[in-house]
Amino acid sequence: MDKVELNVNGFSHTVLVDSSETILDTLRNRLYLTGTKKCCDEGTCGSCTVHLDGKPVLGCLTPTMRCVGKKIVTIEGISAGEDLHPVQKHLVKNLGLQCGFCTPGVVMTAVPYLENNPDPSIDEIKNSLSGNLCRCTGYKKINEAIQSAAEEMNS
Amino acid sequence: MGNYYHPSSIKEALRLAANNSGNYMYFSGGTDLQIYRKQGLENSETIIDLNAIEATERILVKNASLQMSAFTFLEEISLSKDIQLHFPLLAQAAKSVATPVIRKTATIGGNILVNNRCTFYNQSKEWRQAVGSCMRDVGDICQVTGGKNKCYSRNVSDTAPALIALNASVVVHNQEGEEEIPLKDLYSPDGIIFHQHLDKDAILKKINIPEKPKTWWFKKLRLRKTLDFTSLTLAAVVDNKDIVRICINGMSMSPILIEESFHSLSIENLLKQARKNCKTVDNDLMPMKYRKEMMNVFLKQWWSTVYSN
Ligand SMILES: Cc1cc2nc3c(=O)[nH]c(=O)nc-3n(C[C@H](O)[C@H](O)[C@H](O)COP(=O)(O)OP(=O)(O)OC[C@H]3O[C@@H](n4cnc5c(N)ncnc54)[C@H](O)[C@@H]3O)c2cc1C
Ligand code: SF4
Repeated sequence: MDKVELNVNGFSHTVLVDSSETILDTLRNRLYLTGTKKCCDEGTCGSCTVHLDGKPVLGCLTPTMRCVGKKIVTIEGISAGEDLHPVQKHLVKNLGLQCGFCTPGVVMTAVPYLENNPDPSIDEIKNSLSGNLCRCTGYKKINEAIQSAAEEMNS
Repeated sequence: MGNYYHPSSIKEALRLAANNSGNYMYFSGGTDLQIYRKQGLENSETIIDLNAIEATERILVKNASLQMSAFTFLEEISLSKDIQLHFPLLAQAAKSVATPVIRKTATIGGNILVNNRCTFYNQSKEWRQAVGSCMRDVGDICQVTGGKNKCYSRNVSDTAPALIALNASVVVHNQEGEEEIPLKDLYSPDGIIFHQHLDKDAILKKINIPEKPKTWWFKKLRLRKTLDFTSLTLAAVVDNKDIVRICINGMSMSPILIEESFHSLSIENLLKQARKNCKTVDNDLMPMKYRKEMMNVFLKQWWSTVYSN
């Protein structure tokens, strides 16, 4: 085991980790940040997306050791306390979720995408979220929610 | 318990490799390899993560030729204005890999060296134990053919056929120094040992494309428009000397290259060569018969696009 320091959502944590462990398992099992979901665990569903120095990465494929010295942001760090991020707010308002299991991944993919692409078309949104699988909604409402969020973030 | 190393230079990575006497794996993005580790198909104790190696010139287009670091992310390639302008075939091939988020981590080097795949092998340990492990794993027969001699796992890289069609070469750095090899020579038609001229500790450093082609064509067949590995990828160019290079992937253990003069190639000859070199078996989500038919469809589509102009 290696003793490492991780910066998660602005807080510093000292943890003992296995050298081959992924950041998904470290977040969930050692730091109890279970908002990041473990679903396919093989890069296919997007539920485990987190930010590493602002870039979205799949938690299940990212070695924890690669995250040392970088800023990790999880779904728990995306809202300002009880004030939801516009992406979260519009997913709720537009009924862009049912069981909610894919939602943290959708939020963590959409937030940096909208920061870099402020005025996307529905097709561009669909493409940007094409690595986030949702088994409930049929995607239409998710895409519409992200477009409403873009409008709010732009106004 | 293993070790994890994060070297900042190729030299340091090679030194770490020498110290770990074969019991290590290079990670670049890790988006391919990580899954093999989770499925118990890759069990080296040590990870040497190449992700922190600073590549100086990531993408350099000069006099219509391209030099690119092997550590360049696929997203950088698909979004590069220079590549879109001079080598749109490569931009499109890079964009066809996996998903937008994966392409931010996945590298071109990792894509060139992506592991061969088979529906009987790329499964969880439990699945393999239930069905019976094949000879690429711990068993002694091929689960697809029942044979004992040959593995037919498929090369699934989408950028390799584009780069081979573009006549690319790769610079490989091993303990002895650097060596430049035509990319097509890196692949061997073997489902288990699918790379050649590449020592275990060799690191892919650079990719060079000598010149911009006259025309290009690219198409990938897969179940969904995203996420899925290829069932068939076809990349084709006509270069400035009127040489046609067509590269087909996903249909055999290594990419299939057909190289002919533009003026002497006939569609019958093209289909015949593709059929002859294609060693496909039923080890993909799409049936073999359908993929073979689609290979002919793609070749005919390319033919009618190029020869009608
Ligand atoms: C959901 C999903 C979908 C995918 N879809 C596709 C797809 O459509 N097409 C496709 O081709 N792939 C696909 N992949 C596989 C993979 O994401 C890509 O092939 C990717 O480009 C691999 O790059 P990497 O840097 O992550 O490679 P890694 O996983 O780091 O490495 C792959 C192999 O190359 C070796 N390697 C990597 N870089 C070097 C180097 N510089 N020198 C020496 N050895 C090196 C590694 O040791 C390993 O054996 C998919 C993966 C997932 C999870
Ligand atoms: S082709 Fe046969 S030997 Fe090769 S991976 Fe598939 S089942 Fe195994």
